[in-house]
Amino acid sequence: MSVALAAARLHGPHIDWGGLSPILALLGGAVVVLLVGLAPRREVRRLVASGLALVAFAAALGCTIWQWDASKSIVSGALRVDDLALAVNLILVSAGAATVLLSWRARASGEAGHGEFYALVLTSTAGMSVLVAAQNTVSLFLGIELLSIPLYVLCATELHRSPSLESGLKYLVIGSVGSATLLYGLAMIYGATGSTDFDAIASAIASGGLASDPLLLTGIALVVVGLAFKSSVAPFHQWTPDVYEGAPTPITTFMAVATKAAALGIFLRFFDVALVSAQVSWAPALAALATISIVVGNVGALGQSSLKRLLAYSAVAQAGYLLAGVVVSTRAGARATVFYLAVYLLMNLAAFAVVVARERETGLGDDIAAVEGLGASRPWLAWPMTIAMLSLAGIPATAGFVGKLFLIQASADGGYTWLGVVIVVGSMVSLAYYLRVVAAMWMRPGPSLGATEAASPYPAIAGGSPEADPDAIGTSTPAAPPAGDGGPGAGAREGFQPEVVGLALAAGAATVFFGIVPSPLVDLARAAGNSLLGLF
Amino acid sequence: MNIGWYLAVSALVFCIGAAGVLTRRNPVVILLCLELMLNAGNLALIGFARMWGNSQGQVFAMIVMVVAACEVTIGLGLIVAIYRRRLPIDVDELRELQG
Repeated sequence: MSVALAAARLHGPHIDWGGLSPILALLGGAVVVLLVGLAPRREVRRLVASGLALVAFAAALGCTIWQWDASKSIVSGALRVDDLALAVNLILVSAGAATVLLSWRARASGEAGHGEFYALVLTSTAGMSVLVAAQNTVSLFLGIELLSIPLYVLCATELHRSPSLESGLKYLVIGSVGSATLLYGLAMIYGATGSTDFDAIASAIASGGLASDPLLLTGIALVVVGLAFKSSVAPFHQWTPDVYEGAPTPITTFMAVATKAAALGIFLRFFDVALVSAQVSWAPALAALATISIVVGNVGALGQSSLKRLLAYSAVAQAGYLLAGVVVSTRAGARATVFYLAVYLLMNLAAFAVVVARERETGLGDDIAAVEGLGASRPWLAWPMTIAMLSLAGIPATAGFVGKLFLIQASADGGYTWLGVVIVVGSMVSLAYYLRVVAAMWMRPGPSLGATEAASPYPAIAGGSPEADPDAIGTSTPAAPPAGDGGPGAGAREGFQPEVVGLALAAGAATVFFGIVPSPLVDLARAAGNSLLGLF
Repeated sequence: MNIGWYLAVSALVFCIGAAGVLTRRNPVVILLCLELMLNAGNLALIGFARMWGNSQGQVFAMIVMVVAACEVTIGLGLIVAIYRRRLPIDVDELRELQG
């Protein structure tokens, strides 16, 4: 009996700790940070919790680099550790670490409790890591939910501010509708193929001639809708501007870059591994969604006066560009998408870091008036923002240009030349609103902060945009706080914020560097694209 | 019994849930309708698991139940937080973010 027990104990399941290590580092970090949140002194909680969160992200980064070039299935086929998962993991973990830096002085983390706040960021990142490694519809759904549920809470962490709570509830309702639709689609695909494993689904479709099976096609359609909700692809983007505007800005940054990377990562893996033999059925639908997204995002951004809403609509448009790499279902397409995701991280970090800094410095919130005159008063903030805007628009010598070039090349090679043309036209339209921000920074007098600059003597030439003029004139009375609950950043005038400025500068410099020397990122993207073995 | 009947019921439940999310204004009722949508997925999964004779769909359904419970917990927590701020508990009234 005891011998049998001992033998049973010996035959435990094989656990590949190495492959799991990035996710374990994040989840372990979340537990430790949560415990530190119980420390008695407030300053200790703030410093130690954020410090440990950074350590956890660094550990996850280290584990991801350590596992580079791995190609194995772990947890009995539920997760796949390959270069695609690891490359997207690098993007996610960098985004998480940047979020911790941006939240350092944020009110949100203080109000929600530092331990809880950083633990939720870590958990959400772990969910994204699970999602991009998912090789099974069960782990796909689990990953989506593990990334979404902490984000619902994080959006609502500025408890004193009703827009924050409102955005949390909105995101919860719309995100859950997306999850339920996704689940129903996954159930249909399971019904059509009899398996939840990606490889088994792929072989069932290929061998059973299921490519035009109505059950499978319904399932694919519902999955596309569910994932489009998550990656804010139009016409499922309506929540994006509202939630981006209402959420605390560091969390908006996290949602913009990390959620998008994770959602596009699973788009690549699910469609290019599990559904690759039904490509003729889903590619036209995804191409149509990409086109709608580019049009809706770029047109919607034109009239925005809030920087966060502007960046939200720009995120919708960029999701359309990114989908082009999924549509063509080639290695070049996967490579272009991963490359653009990395670039997208850098550009958006630079832009959002400046928004965070100005939000705290001016009390104007995220209105475009907050960056007026930045070129003269704070060139160290104006340059990263300018680079980010030019790169998002795709101006040469920035990484955004190289990324768009690869995407257009991939769509042309994959037989979707017209989609490449749509990307070019969309980028041209987008210049209108990106350059508006650049013009506000360099060509308008800034709002005078305190007594150092009295009211501008030339209010009449403050620019062609009439909605900006009241702010340029009435600078001594900042924009009235909405809903009379203190307003965003009211009284939160911070002075020098080295970590935010440093992050903006580093991200801006990296955007230019990878625009001139893209080869390191190209190598990363090539490895990721080559790990999708079923593609050419 | 034909699998079609199970699917018909599950599609009906899904549509009732989706219609409820779109038309109801009380967030608690919306959460209820979200549960209906998720459980419609569960019903389909279990029906298909029975049809294929393997257990993958049943495992999936169990995990979905856990996730649904988490979602409702977070949703109710948010509703309580909104109620404490004396904001209206009516999604049509939550319209500060628009444009």
